Amino acid sequence: MDISQDFFSCYGLSCDFAIDLAVLRQSHRRLQQQHHPDRFASGSGSEQRRAVQITAYLNQAYATLSEPLKRGIYLLQLQGMDPLSPTNTQMPMDFLLQQIELRECLEDLHQAQDLEAEIDAMATQLRDQANQLEIDFSQAYTALDFLTAETAVRKLQFIVKLQQQLSALEGALLD
Amino acid sequence: MALLQIAEPGQSAKPHERKLAVGIDLGTTHSLVASVRSGQVETLSNSRGEHLLPSVVRYLADESPQVGLKAQAHLVDDAANTVMSVKRLMGRGIEDVKRLGENMPYFFEACDQGMPLINTVSGPKSPVQVSADILRALVQRGESSLGGELVGAVITVPAYFDDAQRQATKDAAQLAGIKVLRLLNEPTAAAVAYGLEQDEQEQGTIAVFDLGGGTFDISILRMEQGVFEVLATGGDSALGGDDFDHALAEWMHQERQIPAQLDLAQQRFLLRMARVGKELLSEVSTTQLSFEGWPGDAHYADLELTREQMNLLLDPIISQAIKATKRTLRDAKVSVDGISQVVMVGGSTRSLRVQERVTELFQQQLLTNIDPDRVVALGAARQADVLAGNQSGEELLLLDVLPLSLGLETMGGLVERVIDRNTPIPVARAQEFTTYQDGQTAIAVHVLQGERELVQDCRSLSRFELRGIPPMAAGAAKIRVTFQVDADGLLEVSAHELTSGVAASVQVKPSFGLSDLQIADMIKASWSNVDEDRGARSLREQQVEADRLLEAVAIALTADGERLLTDQEQQVIVNQMEQLVTVRNGEDHHAIAKQIEIMAKASNAYAAMRMDDSIKRALAGKSVDQL
Repeated sequence: MDISQDFFSCYGLSCDFAIDLAVLRQSHRRLQQQHHPDRFASGSGSEQRRAVQITAYLNQAYATLSEPLKRGIYLLQLQGMDPLSPTNTQMPMDFLLQQIELRECLEDLHQAQDLEAEIDAMATQLRDQANQLEIDFSQAYTALDFLTAETAVRKLQFIVKLQQQLSALEGALLD
Repeated sequence: MALLQIAEPGQSAKPHERKLAVGIDLGTTHSLVASVRSGQVETLSNSRGEHLLPSVVRYLADESPQVGLKAQAHLVDDAANTVMSVKRLMGRGIEDVKRLGENMPYFFEACDQGMPLINTVSGPKSPVQVSADILRALVQRGESSLGGELVGAVITVPAYFDDAQRQATKDAAQLAGIKVLRLLNEPTAAAVAYGLEQDEQEQGTIAVFDLGGGTFDISILRMEQGVFEVLATGGDSALGGDDFDHALAEWMHQERQIPAQLDLAQQRFLLRMARVGKELLSEVSTTQLSFEGWPGDAHYADLELTREQMNLLLDPIISQAIKATKRTLRDAKVSVDGISQVVMVGGSTRSLRVQERVTELFQQQLLTNIDPDRVVALGAARQADVLAGNQSGEELLLLDVLPLSLGLETMGGLVERVIDRNTPIPVARAQEFTTYQDGQTAIAVHVLQGERELVQDCRSLSRFELRGIPPMAAGAAKIRVTFQVDADGLLEVSAHELTSGVAASVQVKPSFGLSDLQIADMIKASWSNVDEDRGARSLREQQVEADRLLEAVAIALTADGERLLTDQEQQVIVNQMEQLVTVRNGEDHHAIAKQIEIMAKASNAYAAMRMDDSIKRALAGKSVDQL
């Protein structure tokens, strides 16, 4: 098992945004069955160390490819880009305004009359936006338009962050 | 003469012989050892047919220690040499133990690594040594029951055990001379005990609801093609059946208007009545509680306790467990109807009310047919059989997660998370840091575990230093710190500076860990203190920023302030610095941010002057063609 190869190759997937998650999951299971340190429970120290390294690599690969945002960032990194660079802060004005609006919505949520309905409505809105951005990314990436793809993935990062905040808020309010 | 048999090198002489391996549940109150024999998994008993080994060790002056029932008999008359509940001390420092120590009759002393030692007639004993004595007794039982030497054991630990507690458990096994095939989380073991994966079609999501005497654990696992994967684990380490007894005792206390001040004997009497009542009510619907034998002058009439009344008293406690369950389901991103099986573990799940409430939550029949006291050991035995290599083909594979987040201390006493809790293990993660000051040649790496944002609120696991970094401007060095957690949940940390290649690493082997209560508190606090933490974090960040600015300006003023600035200009900057020092020592991060901005403005012109000056000096005396 070569742990210097890219994450797509180790699962036998082609380097693309559109991947079959079921295939990813099955390959991941199969490789874990093969390489997990438990398979070397009575093996030598170096065999076990190697197994820990391989499994850690596989877990990292799976975590990266199974989430659209991480997968998108990773694809761009393979192209030598750095979409998460802190110097990279240019975003379209209309998108930023929309973000501010969404953030205000989130902050006002705890005063909502029908909390669960409001949370659900917002979750749906965010999911729709995320889906659209994933489509945007996929099209741009396939067309080798990496700059447009980068904008899509950075927008997606904003949405994913809001989704996390929403679910944290949901947890706190429903507790 | 019979010919000697010589096996092919690398092959076992008897290829079909089973390797002997056991599963061990090293519990707080009792321990168990189990094994797979002729395809059947069973707990092993001693010669008197007893399966449960009380986790009690008594040390004697000139003999080997007594373990189990024999030791338990001396808990009162030889309290100082008879150690119980040692699991609570595993991986703890002397300070943690002193906090717990009020109820413990032992005499502690600290050894140099801060590990607590219990003074006994046979010398000072560490919790690791005491656990090793229990393990030795279990291994002996295993070897005599199975008739041979063991190749190893799977030992179970609570899912919430941190690195220090896991390491201490592994150390105990090493001390007892038993090879650890794997440290396995208790809930995972319980799920495995039911053999749910043996039906080939079987796949689904399992909840393991583990309510013991003093702790509550909930784990959500996915099972698919022989692989059990922990999705999330959570719970409350200060919630359990003991709380039921206290609630019932409190009710009796009030019903019979017993005076508020009770002595120890009276408290114990009420708690015993509570336990008896609780157990009776799982058979009948009403019972009379008798105060006969009350240790005091007063006489109290019998008290009727109905199941309805008891349910009313238990419900608020069970509700807390239900709440923690829902929270963990959210962490696992699984809905209640997504759960296909519910496994019940721990003595307190015998309570009918607990079963009713859990059934109500999950809307399905619970798995309760394996004895909840033995289920963990049985699961560990199945896994031990697999790891010893006694099974072929598609094998059982158990994948655990990290129970508590790991991070590093950064400037201002903040914790930078490196690996989040509930991340599948093994895992390796690297994070890059940089230096804070010009010319800094060493950094201190401080490894922490916990969910809070400030260092003081997390458990310190280890500290080490990376020295010999070549002097560079602040922010220019690139220090990569790598965390690696193995399948047992044990951590190794290394650091190296990327431009120079200087390296240091440490196997995190702390001498103490977290108390259960601390872990519970830390997890609970991270939920309730999100806002407070964020405020504290912003405050620290602004303070660090303010210090950085103050230091830079002070250095500049000393260097060339007098040369470049008029007295009045200097005074303006000094005034703003003083104001920044005042707000920096306050609590308002907004005020600090504002003053940083004002001061930066005040010193901007000066900074520009310095820049020009240094260019002028660099250019001084050089002609254009020299440049």
